[in-house]
Amino acid sequence: MNRAIAPVAVVLGLVGIYLSGNDYLINLGVVCAIYTIPAIGLGLLFGRCRQISLGHAAFVAIGAYVAAITSNEYGIDPWFSVLLATLTGGLCAWAVGKLMFRLSGHHLAMATLALGMIVHTVLVEWRSVTGGPDGTALINPLVLGSVDLMSDRAFFLLGWGVACLLLLASDNLIRSPFGLGLRVVGESESVASSIGIKPNALKVAAMTISGGLAGLSGALYAYWLGYISPDPFNVAFSLKLLLIVALGGYSGSWRLLVGVFFVVVISEVLKAFGRWDTIIFGLLLIAAMLYPQGWLGGMFDQFRQSRQATAGDKRGELN
Amino acid sequence: MNNKKVLLEVKDVDLSFGGLSVLNKVSFDVRGGEILALIGPNGAGKSSILNVITGFYTPNAGQVLLEGKNLVGMSADKIVDKGVVRTFQAAEILFELNVRENVVAASMKEMKLFAGAIGMGWKYGRPSRSGELADQCLELVGLGDVAERSAAQLTAGQQRLLAAARALATGAEILFLDEPGAGLNHIEKELLVNAILRIRKSGVTVVFVEHDLTFVSKLAERIVVLNYGQVLAKGEAEAVRTDPKVIDAYLGNTEINRRRDNRSERSNRRLLTAANLSASHGAVQALEDVSLHVDEGEIVSLIGANGAGKSTLLGCISGRYRPSQGTLEFAGRSLRGIAADKRPGLGIALAPEGRSLFGSLTVEENLMMGYFSQLRRSGLSQLIAPRGEHHRAMLEVMEEVMTFFPKLRQRRHQQAGTLSGGEGQMVNIARALMSRPQLLMLDEPSFGLAPQVTREILESLPDLTRKGVSILIIEQNAKAALQMSDRGYVLVNGSIVAEGQSNALLERADINEAFLGWQESTESEHERVSA
Repeated sequence: MNRAIAPVAVVLGLVGIYLSGNDYLINLGVVCAIYTIPAIGLGLLFGRCRQISLGHAAFVAIGAYVAAITSNEYGIDPWFSVLLATLTGGLCAWAVGKLMFRLSGHHLAMATLALGMIVHTVLVEWRSVTGGPDGTALINPLVLGSVDLMSDRAFFLLGWGVACLLLLASDNLIRSPFGLGLRVVGESESVASSIGIKPNALKVAAMTISGGLAGLSGALYAYWLGYISPDPFNVAFSLKLLLIVALGGYSGSWRLLVGVFFVVVISEVLKAFGRWDTIIFGLLLIAAMLYPQGWLGGMFDQFRQSRQATAGDKRGELN
Repeated sequence: MNNKKVLLEVKDVDLSFGGLSVLNKVSFDVRGGEILALIGPNGAGKSSILNVITGFYTPNAGQVLLEGKNLVGMSADKIVDKGVVRTFQAAEILFELNVRENVVAASMKEMKLFAGAIGMGWKYGRPSRSGELADQCLELVGLGDVAERSAAQLTAGQQRLLAAARALATGAEILFLDEPGAGLNHIEKELLVNAILRIRKSGVTVVFVEHDLTFVSKLAERIVVLNYGQVLAKGEAEAVRTDPKVIDAYLGNTEINRRRDNRSERSNRRLLTAANLSASHGAVQALEDVSLHVDEGEIVSLIGANGAGKSTLLGCISGRYRPSQGTLEFAGRSLRGIAADKRPGLGIALAPEGRSLFGSLTVEENLMMGYFSQLRRSGLSQLIAPRGEHHRAMLEVMEEVMTFFPKLRQRRHQQAGTLSGGEGQMVNIARALMSRPQLLMLDEPSFGLAPQVTREILESLPDLTRKGVSILIIEQNAKAALQMSDRGYVLVNGSIVAEGQSNALLERADINEAFLGWQESTESEHERVSA
């Protein structure tokens, strides 16, 4: 019963936004969906497995450019290019994980930070393939049957359909043996080894999933906008994703949406500050780290605990 | 008992870190269904051999054979699958999970990604039975009632039981417990003893590392004694217990030649007074109502087994820990509210256990760090470049300290990380002396050192008191510590059980027993047989 409350509330809210017909809200809604998908993967990696990726924007960028280039240059079916983008994102993350998890400590954070910069530089400099700083336009639209999915409304449905399915799967995964394994590895790798769980295998798996979801999100973003440039895939974007996970109480589940909505709304407000937004997001991330349960998530927990406590008292009285 | 089948065989295991040999041709066997204790002084290599067997360290040579199959080279999780499972010294409970989840994580074995994503993770295969198995294991150790509680709420004793249950849930055939009783009180230890007996009864072989010899004698059928990385003795518990070599290894067989000189000229002014101190680390009560004092120019030794609370007591005096109760007075001044980094300035210096040298700095630079608090007081700019009278004063103290440890003069420009154990200990003590303390506290100066090196260091200490330094020394090497000190205190399970003149303590036969803890062995022997 309780498990159904969050998804039902989310779906009702989304339907409300859709029916309101407000173009601005629907546009923000699409942005939210595009943030939610990589945040789910990062929720597993950072939230559950406690591995910090500071360059997640790179995997999103890889997804976006793989989708654009394969569909533009090689005439591959757009849907198939989305699949390719997902697989490429996963493959890149798998390779980084495979290399980095041999070492312990903050090597993943350093490596992904570097990866973010390298990918960004390549996108800017490799003009013949990526179009350089001017970016590249996507020629072929994403089409379902005869319906063009490029409008905000259509994309709202597509993006949230995918996001909700993934949230459902992620929620299941967290409650599964796999999710328990991730939590064990996140808390103590030596304990994990001592009870027969391979820490590296799980970390690489979480890394691969999160890279794949980032690639998927990048591809969808590219098709939605119809045009991509290296600029959006910067450090601020990676920070925003981490902030979403932290604000959502590191859950990798429906609670992430608290962080998504907060960050998207804040991003809108901060547009006025231009480049300064990176600093502000950095500060927000630090603030979020201080409250490991997440801001709203934590309050929700407290509310639930106090309710359980009073319920317990009542039961006591009955006896 | 002798005709039990050999289950696990450790054969000629060598292990070294850098140039330091930790294990040297260690061989012993574990027989099916027995309870085996692995004992030995601090730094003897007990945890190291356990780490080798369970795949956390790779030995330089030797084999670990499980029913004839070599485990060396297998990864830790693979060895767990073979049924050889360990716990950790610090219990290492996963506090973010609840009690039951801690155990289920060990019993589930399969973590299928796709099945998990569609919500079928717990429906089939091994995970479908893991909950039931976890409950059985919790029941076995007596934690069935707290299964749904958050693991962070458990007491220290319950944490050890949970660690055992978790290890069992992996399907362990041989369970290695690393100091399961450390830091537990009598009642908790009793519960643990009973749980371990139940575990054995369920068909699991138990090997445990332990310092508390009372605990050992309640449980162990056979004992392996390690000392300086070698097997000192092994065999039936009874025979090992009375082996004079073992008693020596525990009490320390270092003979200190230089007894204390006549102390008629010593003043009786109190330097340090601790009254009714209590302290705890989280759920573990480390000190209970401890009172002691150190007079000016006196050497006082504090002896007791590992986990008795000795380091905690020093930590309270040096300001690292805050006592929950009681008062500390130094040179007529209360230490309450004085931060740890201010205490060296008052004249309290600690040479910590394990030496804690700055390995990449030279000996000279390490010593300069010991003068830090003095330099800091003469101004921030002195820290950037010591100069003038302050610089001269520092060199003067360094000169004095190097006269005291002449070996350090030769090593002056050598990196501290490349020193031998004994030289490292000298730097550790010299660094503490750099602040010109009135009270020098030494935490296990003989840790990991060969007897002759220990002797050299301990024998140099009485000279310090002539320069007006008082010394409070913690030692496992009880005999040597008492020989060189004026007075001694014996700490058992966080309380002082005996105190007095060192000579008197040395002659009291029951001190050995109180310290070793063998004395309860005979009655518990009966308990075990009748149980």
